[in-house]
Amino acid sequence: MSLSGTVIQPRTETVRSRWPDERELLARVSGGDRQAFERLYRIYQPRLARFLISMLQRQQLVEEVLDDTMMVVWQTAGNFRGSSKLSTWIFAIAYRKALKAKARWPDPVEDEEFDTRVSPDAGPDEVLHHQKLHDALLEAMGSLTPEHRAVVDLTYFHGMGYREIADIVNCPVDTVKTRMFHARRRLRQAMPGSLADWL
Amino acid sequence: MSYPILPGDESHDEAEELLPWYVTGQLEESDRIRVEDHLSSCSKCREQLAFERRMVQEFRAQAPEVDSGWARLRDRIEEARDAPSPARRAANDLWNVFRQPGVLALAAAQVGFLVVGGGILLSLSQPSYRALGSAPVAPTANVIVIFRADATEQDIRDALKANGASIVDGPTSADAYLLRIPARQRQLALSRLQSNDQVQMAEPIDGAAR
Repeated sequence: MSLSGTVIQPRTETVRSRWPDERELLARVSGGDRQAFERLYRIYQPRLARFLISMLQRQQLVEEVLDDTMMVVWQTAGNFRGSSKLSTWIFAIAYRKALKAKARWPDPVEDEEFDTRVSPDAGPDEVLHHQKLHDALLEAMGSLTPEHRAVVDLTYFHGMGYREIADIVNCPVDTVKTRMFHARRRLRQAMPGSLADWL
Repeated sequence: MSYPILPGDESHDEAEELLPWYVTGQLEESDRIRVEDHLSSCSKCREQLAFERRMVQEFRAQAPEVDSGWARLRDRIEEARDAPSPARRAANDLWNVFRQPGVLALAAAQVGFLVVGGGILLSLSQPSYRALGSAPVAPTANVIVIFRADATEQDIRDALKANGASIVDGPTSADAYLLRIPARQRQLALSRLQSNDQVQMAEPIDGAAR
Protein backbone atom coordinates (compact mmCIF):
# COMPACT_ATOMS: atom_id res chain seq x y z
CA MET A 1 0.00 0.00 0.00
CA SER A 2 1.54 3.26 -1.04
CA LEU A 3 0.70 6.25 1.09
CA SER A 4 3.39 8.54 -0.16
CA GLY A 5 0.73 10.91 -1.45
CA THR A 6 -0.29 11.65 2.12
CA VAL A 7 2.96 13.38 2.95
CA ILE A 8 2.72 17.12 3.28
CA GLN A 9 6.04 18.74 2.62
CA PRO A 10 7.30 20.62 5.64
CA ARG A 11 7.82 24.33 5.38
CA THR A 12 11.27 23.94 6.82
CA GLU A 13 12.53 22.59 3.51
CA THR A 14 12.91 26.06 2.09
CA VAL A 15 14.83 27.14 5.15
CA ARG A 16 17.00 24.05 5.11
CA SER A 17 18.06 24.75 1.55
CA ARG A 18 19.33 28.14 2.71
CA TRP A 19 21.60 26.60 5.31
CA PRO A 20 24.98 27.66 3.97
CA ASP A 21 23.69 31.21 3.55
CA GLU A 22 22.36 31.27 7.08
CA ARG A 23 25.63 30.06 8.53
CA GLU A 24 27.45 32.72 6.57
CA LEU A 25 24.97 35.33 7.75
CA LEU A 26 25.49 34.28 11.35
CA ALA A 27 29.26 34.49 10.97
CA ARG A 28 28.84 38.03 9.73
CA VAL A 29 26.42 38.79 12.55
CA SER A 30 28.98 37.62 15.10
CA GLY A 31 31.31 40.23 13.61
CA GLY A 32 28.73 42.96 14.25
CA ASP A 33 27.34 43.22 10.70
CA ARG A 34 23.91 44.82 11.13
CA GLN A 35 22.82 44.29 7.53
CA ALA A 36 23.46 40.57 7.89
CA PHE A 37 21.50 40.60 11.12
CA GLU A 38 18.57 42.34 9.46
CA ARG A 39 18.50 39.61 6.79
CA LEU A 40 18.62 36.90 9.44
CA TYR A 41 15.88 38.68 11.35
CA ARG A 42 13.64 38.84 8.29
CA ILE A 43 14.14 35.12 7.68
CA TYR A 44 13.24 34.13 11.22
CA GLN A 45 10.76 36.81 12.33
CA PRO A 46 7.69 35.26 10.65
CA ARG A 47 8.51 31.76 11.87
CA LEU A 48 9.29 32.87 15.42
CA ALA A 49 6.21 35.08 15.53
CA ARG A 50 4.04 32.19 14.52
CA PHE A 51 5.68 29.87 17.06
CA LEU A 52 5.45 32.39 19.89
CA ILE A 53 1.82 33.20 19.15
CA SER A 54 1.03 29.52 19.50
CA MET A 55 2.94 29.30 22.74
CA LEU A 56 1.98 32.59 24.34
CA GLN A 57 -1.29 33.61 22.67
CA ARG A 58 -0.65 37.20 23.58
CA GLN A 59 0.41 39.70 20.96
CA GLN A 60 2.32 42.09 23.19
CA LEU A 61 4.21 39.28 24.84
CA VAL A 62 5.05 37.79 21.44
CA GLU A 63 6.75 40.99 20.30
CA GLU A 64 8.68 41.28 23.54
CA VAL A 65 9.89 37.68 23.49
CA LEU A 66 10.70 37.79 19.78
CA ASP A 67 12.82 40.90 20.28
CA ASP A 68 14.52 39.37 23.32
CA THR A 69 15.26 36.22 21.34
CA MET A 70 16.80 38.07 18.43
CA MET A 71 18.81 40.27 20.80
CA VAL A 72 20.34 37.11 22.24
CA VAL A 73 21.13 35.96 18.69
CA TRP A 74 22.74 39.34 17.96
CA GLN A 75 24.78 39.36 21.14
CA THR A 76 25.85 35.71 21.24
CA ALA A 77 26.08 34.74 17.56
CA GLY A 78 29.74 33.93 18.14
CA ASN A 79 28.76 31.28 20.68
CA PHE A 80 26.91 29.16 18.11
CA ARG A 81 29.16 26.14 17.64
CA GLY A 82 27.23 24.51 14.80
CA SER A 83 26.53 21.28 16.68
CA SER A 84 22.84 21.71 15.81
CA LYS A 85 20.94 23.40 13.02
CA LEU A 86 20.83 27.15 13.31
CA SER A 87 17.02 27.04 13.44
CA THR A 88 17.19 24.62 16.37
CA TRP A 89 19.46 27.00 18.26
CA ILE A 90 17.28 30.04 17.60
CA PHE A 91 13.99 28.26 18.36
CA ALA A 92 15.47 26.87 21.58
CA ILE A 93 16.31 30.41 22.69
CA ALA A 94 12.78 31.52 21.82
CA TYR A 95 11.28 28.58 23.70
CA ARG A 96 13.22 29.34 26.88
CA LYS A 97 12.40 33.04 26.65
CA ALA A 98 8.73 32.25 26.09
CA LEU A 99 8.53 29.99 29.14
CA LYS A 100 10.15 32.69 31.27
CA ALA A 101 7.75 35.29 29.94
CA LYS A 102 4.85 32.96 30.57
CA ALA A 103 5.97 32.54 34.15
CA ARG A 104 5.63 36.30 34.56
CA TRP A 105 2.08 36.17 33.14
CA PRO A 106 0.69 33.04 34.78
CA ASP A 107 -2.99 33.89 34.42
CA PRO A 108 -5.09 32.14 31.82
CA VAL A 109 -4.88 33.91 28.52
CA GLU A 110 -7.78 36.18 27.73
CA ASP A 111 -6.28 38.50 25.23
CA GLU A 112 -8.54 40.54 23.03
CA GLU A 113 -5.57 41.51 20.92
CA PHE A 114 -4.82 37.93 20.05
CA ASP A 115 -6.08 37.13 16.62
CA THR A 116 -5.26 34.69 13.91
CA ARG A 117 -6.97 34.75 10.57
CA VAL A 118 -7.78 32.22 7.98
CA SER A 119 -5.83 32.66 4.80
CA PRO A 120 -7.44 35.27 2.52
CA ASP A 121 -6.98 32.83 -0.37
CA ALA A 122 -10.00 30.84 0.80
CA GLY A 123 -13.48 31.37 -0.70
CA PRO A 124 -16.48 32.61 1.38
CA ASP A 125 -17.89 29.15 2.23
CA GLU A 126 -14.48 27.85 2.95
CA VAL A 127 -13.80 30.79 5.23
CA LEU A 128 -16.90 30.03 7.31
CA HIS A 129 -16.05 26.37 7.41
CA HIS A 130 -12.50 27.11 8.40
CA GLN A 131 -13.48 29.71 10.93
CA LYS A 132 -15.69 27.32 12.85
CA LEU A 133 -13.00 24.68 13.07
CA HIS A 134 -10.36 27.30 13.64
CA ASP A 135 -12.21 28.74 16.63
CA ALA A 136 -12.68 25.28 18.12
CA LEU A 137 -9.01 24.43 17.66
CA LEU A 138 -7.94 27.76 19.08
CA GLU A 139 -9.98 27.10 22.18
CA ALA A 140 -8.54 23.60 22.48
CA MET A 141 -5.02 24.95 22.05
CA GLY A 142 -5.73 27.48 24.79
CA SER A 143 -6.54 24.65 27.16
CA LEU A 144 -3.10 23.09 26.64
CA THR A 145 0.07 24.11 28.42
CA PRO A 146 2.62 26.27 26.56
CA GLU A 147 4.92 23.22 26.46
CA HIS A 148 2.26 21.18 24.66
CA ARG A 149 1.37 24.04 22.32
CA ALA A 150 5.03 24.39 21.37
CA VAL A 151 5.27 20.74 20.34
CA VAL A 152 2.03 20.93 18.34
CA ASP A 153 3.08 24.06 16.47
CA LEU A 154 6.59 22.84 15.74
CA THR A 155 5.14 19.61 14.36
CA TYR A 156 2.13 20.77 12.36
CA PHE A 157 3.14 24.23 11.23
CA HIS A 158 6.93 24.15 11.14
CA GLY A 159 7.12 20.54 10.00
CA MET A 160 9.92 19.62 12.40
CA GLY A 161 10.80 16.05 13.34
CA TYR A 162 10.50 14.85 16.92
CA ARG A 163 14.27 14.77 17.45
CA GLU A 164 14.70 18.38 16.49
CA ILE A 165 11.75 19.35 18.68
CA ALA A 166 13.31 17.44 21.59
CA ASP A 167 16.48 19.50 21.11
CA ILE A 168 14.52 22.74 21.07
CA VAL A 169 12.43 22.05 24.15
CA ASN A 170 15.32 20.24 25.84
CA CYS A 171 13.51 17.05 26.78
CA PRO A 172 13.65 13.37 25.80
CA VAL A 173 12.18 12.28 22.48
CA ASP A 174 9.58 10.15 24.25
CA THR A 175 8.33 13.22 26.10
CA VAL A 176 7.81 14.99 22.79
CA LYS A 177 5.79 12.05 21.50
CA THR A 178 3.75 11.88 24.70
CA ARG A 179 3.01 15.60 24.65
CA MET A 180 1.96 15.38 21.03
CA PHE A 181 -0.25 12.38 21.70
CA HIS A 182 -2.01 14.14 24.55
CA ALA A 183 -2.42 17.36 22.57
CA ARG A 184 -3.84 15.57 19.51
CA ARG A 185 -6.44 13.89 21.63
CA ARG A 186 -7.53 17.25 23.01
CA LEU A 187 -7.65 18.80 19.56
CA ARG A 188 -9.67 15.97 18.13
CA GLN A 189 -12.14 16.09 21.01
CA ALA A 190 -12.57 19.79 20.33
CA MET A 191 -13.56 19.36 16.69
CA PRO A 192 -17.26 20.10 16.32
CA GLY A 193 -19.23 17.35 14.62
CA SER A 194 -17.62 14.25 13.26
CA LEU A 195 -14.31 14.00 11.52
CA ALA A 196 -16.08 13.26 8.23
CA ASP A 197 -17.55 16.79 8.31
CA TRP A 198 -14.08 18.24 8.08
CA LEU A 199 -12.44 16.07 5.49
CA MET B 1 -14.00 11.53 19.70
CA SER B 2 -11.01 9.44 20.63
CA TYR B 3 -9.98 5.85 20.30
CA PRO B 4 -8.83 3.82 23.25
CA ILE B 5 -5.27 2.63 23.12
CA LEU B 6 -5.32 -1.09 22.46
CA PRO B 7 -3.67 -2.94 25.35
CA GLY B 8 -0.66 -4.89 24.23
CA ASP B 9 -0.90 -3.67 20.67
CA GLU B 10 2.46 -1.99 20.58
CA SER B 11 2.62 -1.61 16.84
CA HIS B 12 -0.68 0.27 16.91
CA ASP B 13 0.43 2.54 19.74
CA GLU B 14 3.73 3.23 18.08
CA ALA B 15 2.20 3.94 14.68
CA GLU B 16 -0.48 6.18 16.09
CA GLU B 17 2.10 8.13 18.02
CA LEU B 18 4.21 8.68 14.90
CA LEU B 19 1.40 9.70 12.52
CA PRO B 20 1.91 13.49 12.78
CA TRP B 21 5.51 13.13 11.63
CA TYR B 22 4.53 10.61 8.99
CA VAL B 23 2.18 13.18 7.48
CA THR B 24 4.86 15.87 7.42
CA GLY B 25 7.46 13.50 5.98
CA GLN B 26 9.71 13.75 9.02
CA LEU B 27 10.07 10.07 9.88
CA GLU B 28 13.24 8.10 9.43
CA GLU B 29 13.01 5.32 6.84
CA SER B 30 12.62 2.49 9.36
CA ASP B 31 9.84 4.29 11.23
CA ARG B 32 8.11 5.21 7.98
CA ILE B 33 8.07 1.58 6.82
CA ARG B 34 6.67 0.40 10.16
CA VAL B 35 3.93 3.04 10.05
CA GLU B 36 2.99 2.17 6.48
CA ASP B 37 2.88 -1.54 7.32
CA HIS B 38 0.52 -0.81 10.16
CA LEU B 39 -1.63 1.60 8.17
CA SER B 40 -2.27 -1.04 5.57
CA SER B 41 -4.11 -3.12 8.16
CA CYS B 42 -5.56 -0.58 10.62
CA SER B 43 -8.61 1.43 9.61
CA LYS B 44 -8.55 3.44 12.84
CA CYS B 45 -5.06 4.69 12.09
CA ARG B 46 -6.05 5.51 8.52
CA GLU B 47 -8.85 7.65 9.88
CA GLN B 48 -6.47 9.22 12.34
CA LEU B 49 -4.14 9.88 9.43
CA ALA B 50 -6.90 11.89 7.77
CA PHE B 51 -7.25 13.88 10.98
CA GLU B 52 -3.51 14.59 11.03
CA ARG B 53 -3.59 15.85 7.46
CA ARG B 54 -6.49 18.12 8.34
CA MET B 55 -4.61 19.48 11.31
CA VAL B 56 -1.53 20.27 9.24
CA GLN B 57 -3.67 22.08 6.66
CA GLU B 58 -5.57 23.91 9.36
CA PHE B 59 -2.49 25.05 11.23
CA ARG B 60 -0.83 26.22 8.06
CA ALA B 61 -3.94 28.08 6.91
CA GLN B 62 -3.81 30.31 9.96
CA ALA B 63 -2.04 33.55 9.29
CA PRO B 64 -1.38 35.41 12.51
CA GLU B 65 -0.75 39.08 12.11
CA VAL B 66 2.50 40.17 13.66
CA ASP B 67 4.13 43.31 12.42
CA SER B 68 7.75 43.12 11.54
CA GLY B 69 9.51 44.67 14.49
CA TRP B 70 12.80 45.36 12.76
CA ALA B 71 12.67 49.11 13.39
CA ARG B 72 12.00 48.45 17.06
CA LEU B 73 14.82 45.95 17.35
CA ARG B 74 17.21 48.17 15.38
CA ASP B 75 16.62 50.97 17.92
CA ARG B 76 17.32 48.54 20.72
CA ILE B 77 20.61 47.51 19.13
CA GLU B 78 21.56 51.16 18.79
CA GLU B 79 20.85 51.72 22.48
CA ALA B 80 22.85 48.64 23.42
CA ARG B 81 25.74 49.77 21.24
CA ASP B 82 25.82 53.22 22.81
CA ALA B 83 25.80 51.78 26.31
CA PRO B 84 28.75 49.54 27.17
CA SER B 85 27.90 45.97 28.10
CA PRO B 86 27.65 45.19 31.82
CA ALA B 87 30.85 43.15 31.74
CA ARG B 88 32.72 45.82 29.84
CA ARG B 89 31.34 48.47 32.20
CA ALA B 90 32.46 46.47 35.22
CA ALA B 91 35.88 45.99 33.65
CA ASN B 92 36.18 49.68 32.90
CA ASP B 93 35.08 50.58 36.41
CA LEU B 94 37.67 48.22 37.81
CA TRP B 95 40.31 49.55 35.49
CA ASN B 96 39.47 53.15 36.41
CA VAL B 97 39.69 52.30 40.07
CA PHE B 98 43.15 50.89 39.51
CA ARG B 99 44.22 54.02 37.64
CA GLN B 100 43.39 56.40 40.47
CA PRO B 101 46.65 57.55 42.07
CA GLY B 102 45.36 57.09 45.61
CA VAL B 103 44.19 53.55 44.91
CA LEU B 104 47.40 52.78 43.08
CA ALA B 105 49.39 53.93 46.10
CA LEU B 106 47.12 51.93 48.42
CA ALA B 107 47.46 48.88 46.20
CA ALA B 108 51.22 49.32 46.15
CA ALA B 109 51.21 49.64 49.95
CA GLN B 110 49.11 46.48 50.23
CA VAL B 111 51.42 44.62 47.90
CA GLY B 112 54.35 45.94 49.91
CA PHE B 113 52.70 44.78 53.09
CA LEU B 114 52.14 41.37 51.59
CA VAL B 115 55.74 41.19 50.42
CA VAL B 116 57.19 42.23 53.75
CA GLY B 117 54.59 40.39 55.83
CA GLY B 118 54.92 37.32 53.68
CA GLY B 119 58.67 37.52 53.96
CA ILE B 120 58.49 37.75 57.72
CA LEU B 121 56.08 34.85 57.97
CA LEU B 122 58.20 32.84 55.64
CA SER B 123 61.31 33.66 57.57
CA LEU B 124 59.65 32.49 60.76
CA SER B 125 58.92 29.16 59.15
CA GLN B 126 62.42 28.83 57.73
CA PRO B 127 65.60 27.79 59.53
CA SER B 128 67.10 30.72 61.44
CA TYR B 129 70.29 30.75 59.41
CA ARG B 130 68.43 32.11 56.32
CA ALA B 131 68.64 35.86 55.98
CA LEU B 132 65.45 37.94 55.68
CA GLY B 133 66.64 39.27 52.38
CA SER B 134 66.70 35.85 50.80
CA ALA B 135 62.93 35.32 51.21
CA PRO B 136 61.19 35.03 47.81
CA VAL B 137 59.39 38.15 46.70
CA ALA B 138 55.64 37.77 46.26
CA PRO B 139 54.72 38.37 42.63
CA THR B 140 52.94 41.60 41.73
CA ALA B 141 50.29 41.73 39.07
CA ASN B 142 51.07 43.59 35.88
CA VAL B 143 48.07 42.66 33.74
CA ILE B 144 44.33 42.53 34.36
CA VAL B 145 42.27 40.18 32.23
CA ILE B 146 38.59 39.30 31.91
CA PHE B 147 37.68 36.14 30.05
CA ARG B 148 34.45 35.77 28.13
CA ALA B 149 31.58 34.32 30.14
CA ASP B 150 31.59 31.15 28.03
CA ALA B 151 35.33 30.56 28.25
CA THR B 152 36.02 27.14 29.75
CA GLU B 153 38.53 26.37 32.45
CA GLN B 154 40.65 24.72 29.76
CA ASP B 155 40.52 27.90 27.64
CA ILE B 156 41.71 29.94 30.60
CA ARG B 157 44.46 27.50 31.48
CA ASP B 158 45.66 27.39 27.87
CA ALA B 159 45.72 31.17 27.62
CA LEU B 160 47.72 31.47 30.84
CA LYS B 161 50.22 28.78 29.89
CA ALA B 162 50.75 30.10 26.38
CA ASN B 163 51.66 33.48 27.78
CA GLY B 164 53.72 32.44 30.77
CA ALA B 165 51.16 34.09 33.04
CA SER B 166 50.37 33.21 36.62
CA ILE B 167 47.32 34.32 38.59
CA VAL B 168 48.11 36.70 41.40
CA ASP B 169 44.52 37.38 42.38
CA GLY B 170 40.96 36.80 41.21
CA PRO B 171 38.42 36.21 40.11
CA THR B 172 37.30 39.60 41.41
CA SER B 173 33.66 40.62 41.73
CA ALA B 174 33.89 41.66 38.06
CA ASP B 175 35.31 38.23 37.18
CA ALA B 176 38.69 39.81 36.44
CA TYR B 177 42.00 38.08 37.10
CA LEU B 178 45.21 39.87 38.07
CA LEU B 179 48.11 38.26 36.27
CA ARG B 180 51.84 38.34 36.61
CA ILE B 181 53.64 37.98 33.31
CA PRO B 182 57.46 38.08 33.13
CA ALA B 183 58.52 41.54 31.98
CA ARG B 184 60.23 40.40 28.80
CA GLN B 185 57.07 38.55 27.65
CA ARG B 186 54.53 41.07 28.85
CA GLN B 187 54.11 43.09 25.65
CA LEU B 188 53.73 40.08 23.39
CA ALA B 189 51.48 38.30 25.90
CA LEU B 190 49.22 41.35 26.13
CA SER B 191 48.82 41.43 22.35
CA ARG B 192 48.05 37.73 22.29
CA LEU B 193 45.53 37.96 25.10
CA GLN B 194 43.81 40.91 23.47
CA SER B 195 43.40 38.99 20.22
CA ASN B 196 42.28 35.80 21.97
CA ASP B 197 38.58 35.10 21.25
CA GLN B 198 38.08 33.89 24.80
CA VAL B 199 39.36 37.13 26.30
CA GLN B 200 37.00 40.02 26.77
CA MET B 201 39.55 42.48 28.11
CA ALA B 202 43.29 42.49 28.79
CA GLU B 203 45.06 45.63 30.01
CA PRO B 204 48.39 46.44 31.71
CA ILE B 205 48.15 47.66 35.30
CA ASP B 206 51.78 48.31 36.09
CA GLY B 207 51.91 51.72 34.47
CA ALA B 208 54.67 50.61 32.10
CA ALA B 209 54.43 51.49 28.42
CA ARG B 210 52.19 49.09 26.47
